[in-house]
Amino acid sequence: MQQLKQLTFAFMDPPFESERTVSFFRLLDAALDKNADVCVFAYEGAAALAFAKQAQHGNAVHGHDLQQEDHPLTKTWIKALQDKARLKGLRFEWVNCGLCVDERGVNESIADCQRGGPSDFWTFAENAFNSLTIGTR
Amino acid sequence: MSDYVFLQSQDPFTETQTLSQYQLIHNLATKDNRVTLYLIQNGVMPARRGALCKPFDLLCNQNINVVVDRFSLEQRGIELDQLKSGINAEDIGVVIDAMLRGDKVIWN
Repeated sequence: MQQLKQLTFAFMDPPFESERTVSFFRLLDAALDKNADVCVFAYEGAAALAFAKQAQHGNAVHGHDLQQEDHPLTKTWIKALQDKARLKGLRFEWVNCGLCVDERGVNESIADCQRGGPSDFWTFAENAFNSLTIGTR
Repeated sequence: MSDYVFLQSQDPFTETQTLSQYQLIHNLATKDNRVTLYLIQNGVMPARRGALCKPFDLLCNQNINVVVDRFSLEQRGIELDQLKSGINAEDIGVVIDAMLRGDKVIWN
């Protein structure tokens, strides 16, 4: 049986701001499709991606109520990736930068997302087969 | 010799630093490295036939594998037959394949 490889990702963008966020999540999903273990270090604004109090909203401009708008939330995407990894027997670790969540008041993360620091990224990267950092500009 | 994959999200028409990124890619390819340029997000824009960008066209005429993200094309309503000659569309999984091969993968 082929040995699983760990891929590490670092991301910095906050939710709901940049197309990079969608690309980043597509990469994570593709990594699980390819049976890679995935470790994520969420730094700066990205520490809010897993914030548990994110809430959907309607869109009066479009005439959509909450259900019709079905606004996507990054915390839901993370949960979906966690579930996918679990189903496939893969590792999916998500660590938020502790200082970054404190600064932003977003310390209440969804389950199975950890609080950590840059040293966790160092450890993830050291143990990974490969790493990708997606920084802000 | 190394294998590089550049995820090029920035486009030369709105981000001036893109030209410096193209220059690095050009230089790496010139030094006999194997280079793939994966165009994603607005990075796909110079791949359209008729898009005028000589530094990008230079990369296309080098020994560089230029690929566009199929999803980014669809988002922008760009059809495959609107792309410059020699540019192919792939799903984002090819980037993960490259990471799992050990290629150096860099986000621009």
